[in-house]
Amino acid sequence: MPKIIHYRNKCIGCGVCYEQQPSLWRMSRKDGKAILLRGISKKGIFQLTVPGEVMEQSAAVAKACPVNIIKIV
Amino acid sequence: MKKRTVDILAPVGSFDSLQAAINAGADAIYFGVEQLNMRSRSANVFSVTDIKKISQACKAAGIKAYLTLNTVMYDHDRQLLRSLIKEAKKQNIDAVIAADFAVIGYCRELEMPLHISTQANITNIESVQFFAAFADVIVLARELTLKQVAQIVADIKRKNITGPSGELVRIEIFVHGALCMAVSGKCYLSLHQQNASANRGACTQNCRRSYLVKDADSGDELLVENEYIMSPKDLCTIDILDEVIQAGVSVLKIEGRPKGADYVHTVTQCYREAADAVAEGSFTAEKIASWKTALEKVYNRGFWQGYYLGRQTGEWATQSGSAATEKKIYIGKGSRYYPQKKVGEFTIESGSIQIGDTLLITGPLCGMVKEKLETLYVNGAQALTADKGDRITLLFPLKVTPADKLYKIVDTTHA
Repeated sequence: MPKIIHYRNKCIGCGVCYEQQPSLWRMSRKDGKAILLRGISKKGIFQLTVPGEVMEQSAAVAKACPVNIIKIV
Repeated sequence: MKKRTVDILAPVGSFDSLQAAINAGADAIYFGVEQLNMRSRSANVFSVTDIKKISQACKAAGIKAYLTLNTVMYDHDRQLLRSLIKEAKKQNIDAVIAADFAVIGYCRELEMPLHISTQANITNIESVQFFAAFADVIVLARELTLKQVAQIVADIKRKNITGPSGELVRIEIFVHGALCMAVSGKCYLSLHQQNASANRGACTQNCRRSYLVKDADSGDELLVENEYIMSPKDLCTIDILDEVIQAGVSVLKIEGRPKGADYVHTVTQCYREAADAVAEGSFTAEKIASWKTALEKVYNRGFWQGYYLGRQTGEWATQSGSAATEKKIYIGKGSRYYPQKKVGEFTIESGSIQIGDTLLITGPLCGMVKEKLETLYVNGAQALTADKGDRITLLFPLKVTPADKLYKIVDTTHA
């Protein structure tokens, strides 16, 4: 199954991921950056395996991220 | 002692630039942390934990430090915003620079001194009077003429407009650096083209590209003199600095937080010397020419004086990237230091150097040092050249670490 990878350290907190896909993203009220819900952190890089049916939307989110820190692999 | 009538405010995006600004004679520096500043896309962004170190370095050097928090702010930014302002206050940062009312409100609540950013687009005395309730320093819009600036300053005195400190409100203007095609930086070009908001510090510099102008009906391309139709040349006021100071401006601001220590050092030093020359009555054409030559050596897109002398249309760059007359080529980095002999060792990782080359070293302790290579020691023996893999040693007054980068300066005008 495909994976979303979020390089969170470089997030600028614009909120476009949350706006486009609220089922997978939240904005942290603590540090203003995006949170990949249920994402597993490996050295500050978050990963989440997702079912194929949400991938189209996730790919659009990855494309929309202004600092290109959301990848789909 | 020199009589200083104006402050030189230098941009800082790294500890190298911070030291360069201090060495070059800045009276104050401004910097951003985390994502809430207009340079959040830049490679070098300070984190909240750096605030203490920056403040300490500035206090030790006797200069002021301002924290820039001037992006558009969202609800989810509020907690971070508060914690940054609290930390800035705790670490004795001298002021916050902001345009958003959330920041203005928090600064007031937390009793943090405030400067109003150019992002607020202040263009008249009524706006100055309004913001004087919150801020002691106001950065005016870059689109004003010096005559309009002088009128605002005169009206501040005439109306006795004071800030929270009880002192007359001080006016700051940009004197050097990149200009934006949009009024007061409120640009949506990156947002529309790449979903990257310049107003959240993610400008993708689309305006700096070349464009063709096409008649959509006929398909004909219009003949324009220059394809860089949205890329303004850089602001440079060094030759009219006497008029800028006579307008009553208190703070001369230099743009360029993403730029390197060599840029910060050179530009700060030129404006420091020019401001001092104005104060001493020795602001001569000869000196102006010399400062201009120095400024042309570091990153620039060509210069113009902005709108200060009443220009109605801008001047546009003629190329992408820099028109600087010099460029720096990365050679290597510091590897060891021998404190007793005050000798620094650098390892060459790329290219080569030879006697007679001009070397540039940037680092958090030295800021920027530029010198001509008179004698060269390679792997312990005197030599004429050094290549990749060689270890060279130089007399150097400050400790050398791997954070120190060694560059060779190359003249681009003879390329």
